[in-house]
Amino acid sequence: MIDFGSFRAASCSGKTRRSFLKTSSIVPFALGAGLPSLQAVEQARQKAKAKSVILLWLWGGPSHIDMVDPKPDAAMEYRGPFGTIATKTPGMHYTELLPRMAARSDKYCVIRSMQTTDSGHPGAGTIGVTGFKESPGPVQPNFGAIIAKHRGQDELATTPSSSLPPFFYVGRGIPRDLPRRIEGYGGGTLGKAYDPFLVSCSDRGEVGIPTLKMLPNMSPKRISNRKDLLSELDVEQHRLEKNLLGQWGHTYQSAFDLLTDAKARDAFDLTKESPKTRRSYGHTTFGQGCLLARRLAQAGVPYIQVNWSEYVETFTPNGDFGWDTHIYNFELLQDRHCPIFDRAFSTLLDDLDDRGMLEETLLVAMGEFGRTPQISNRAAREHWQHCYFSLWAGAGIEPGRCIGQSDSKGEHPVTRPITPLMAGTTIAELAGVGAQQRAEMKVLDGGSLIDELL
Amino acid sequence: MNCCKHWINPIIVCAGMILSVSGFACGADPQQLTDDGANKRDPIFVEEGKSLIYCYDETPDFVRMMKMNMETLEIVEMFEDAGNHHHYEPAFSADGRYTCYTECTGNLTARLVIRDLQNEKPAAFITHSGRGGTRNPIFTPDSKTVIYAFAETGPQQLWSCNLEGKNKKQMTHSEGITNWPTVTPDGKRVIFSNSRENNYEIYSMNLDGSDEKRLTTNRLMDVRPAVSPDGKRIAFVSTRDGNYDIYVMNIDGSNVHRITTSEERDDYPRWHPNSQQIVFVGEREGEFNLYLLDIADDISVAAK
Repeated sequence: MIDFGSFRAASCSGKTRRSFLKTSSIVPFALGAGLPSLQAVEQARQKAKAKSVILLWLWGGPSHIDMVDPKPDAAMEYRGPFGTIATKTPGMHYTELLPRMAARSDKYCVIRSMQTTDSGHPGAGTIGVTGFKESPGPVQPNFGAIIAKHRGQDELATTPSSSLPPFFYVGRGIPRDLPRRIEGYGGGTLGKAYDPFLVSCSDRGEVGIPTLKMLPNMSPKRISNRKDLLSELDVEQHRLEKNLLGQWGHTYQSAFDLLTDAKARDAFDLTKESPKTRRSYGHTTFGQGCLLARRLAQAGVPYIQVNWSEYVETFTPNGDFGWDTHIYNFELLQDRHCPIFDRAFSTLLDDLDDRGMLEETLLVAMGEFGRTPQISNRAAREHWQHCYFSLWAGAGIEPGRCIGQSDSKGEHPVTRPITPLMAGTTIAELAGVGAQQRAEMKVLDGGSLIDELL
Repeated sequence: MNCCKHWINPIIVCAGMILSVSGFACGADPQQLTDDGANKRDPIFVEEGKSLIYCYDETPDFVRMMKMNMETLEIVEMFEDAGNHHHYEPAFSADGRYTCYTECTGNLTARLVIRDLQNEKPAAFITHSGRGGTRNPIFTPDSKTVIYAFAETGPQQLWSCNLEGKNKKQMTHSEGITNWPTVTPDGKRVIFSNSRENNYEIYSMNLDGSDEKRLTTNRLMDVRPAVSPDGKRIAFVSTRDGNYDIYVMNIDGSNVHRITTSEERDDYPRWHPNSQQIVFVGEREGEFNLYLLDIADDISVAAK
């Protein structure tokens, strides 16, 4: 583990802590190597309602019935153990696990009629963030890659200037299940240049850049500009094998650009936030990740995907408690997942609103599918692609509405099904990628807008 | 006990030091026992209140069981051999010889572990095929039987087994989810939660399943009941006032009082052996720590 600079931070108990920019020992592959610069995206973003998009990716498939679409009148084997509470939206109830979100339902919309076509995680995950199946290929681009390309269309060929990439992943890694990662994580047909730039965020707000694994002597303190960076690379070249340095090449330079750019470093530094703000998100990896997402949006990053977990599995050695609650669905939602999500989502919503950012920021929360309405013989819920939910706020979306309806058991939509392709098309449209631009990029083909949101 | 001497997060609050923490309805301020803020669960006193066991998120992908010395507040790992297996929901026999807990053993799978802390003989397990896992094991006061929750082939029920993990018997045959067993000190009745009335309510029954009585009536959850060591009261968690708070009622379900009032979460109540204090996990300003609350005489906020 390498520390890239340190920032003094007051802890929640009033003492001083050190927060670090860290690099991990894992470099899965090149991420965000050729993403266009933030300067390049500025012109495009002026035209969009959503200057930034924050997608809270609830990886694993959260249970719609146990959260925002309860069925208290359904039979015992469907309805689950949780009571329901009224929300601020007339006639709409949540389960008792989401009191904060219920109290703020006038600030966002709920879609209860989402539907997808794959019942496996990697497949549904790819559909969820690209709109299309993984096979037959080629794999289509992540919604974030589309927006990244649109915002940087004219500047792609130029050398990236030191600035923030336009497409970030906040999380421990690329979403995956035990066998493999999702294919739709990045650029897809647009190319690896539009892969996301991955940053991690600990429950203490320590931001890490997994892409960087090298050069133990480097730190923002030592490297204040590109000249220093190149000088340091020269020094390291003597120490390290040349071919290894070559491998790092462009990818790592992009990452180093972040460390030598004051705006980027500032965005990563959660200690710039008041202790009250940091606490309000909750000291969890997801909560602090949401705070980081807000800072990145504030800095002008067009697309930030906050991943709930790297691994989909909810209760597995080395797993980080995804939403795939084949066991302990009710216990884990009650004990861990819903309290964390309820707090982080509500705080992010309030924070964006309080700062006047909500009008220009699109906030979306969804997973790849829902969970079986019928409770399993292990007292949990399995995968259910036929009906699930998503949450939408900001960027001109009229809040306080429940869009779509599921049947009495939560098995199928009884209104028009809303698909991930429609979600992606709507996200793109709100982010300024209109039909013509989508056609020119050959993305989101056949996608229609979620009119009810607009 | 197989503990290592590994020191983790520093504890800044000295034993006996009283911090003023808002959000409590009782007369005495709670004592804050930890300050690392990490996600915690399942505190339980052992060794006549001299030690406190709990589980916490050591990393985002690992839940470890810890042991705190209540005099020095030193914290050590409970088991050196945990590997990468999450450990949850520890319980200890009244004679202090045995512990049982839930252990994650594989992908979406957990088992019940029963360990003899005095002898090094192999632990006993309750395992099963496929996905799933046991929950919330406890010992009966005679230290001869373990009661736990498990969904064998349908609704989650209470089961019992002996210390070798054998002689399994199904104790409840109810609709809904049954969970969180706790036994009265005389060993005659088991208290638990069940969801058949559209949300979790607390019930009491004889160990043979007879004479079931409903103790709570509320449209929101009443969960995690814990019988006081003197057998007179039950602590539990409810969302009836808007979020997770801790309540205390008489053993027959009467005289319900709310003992925490924070707008943040209070959960996992367990009694001190003196029956006058409750340890719980309190979320304050986004951090999770252990608190010890004196509820001796002057519970002041009546519950809904």
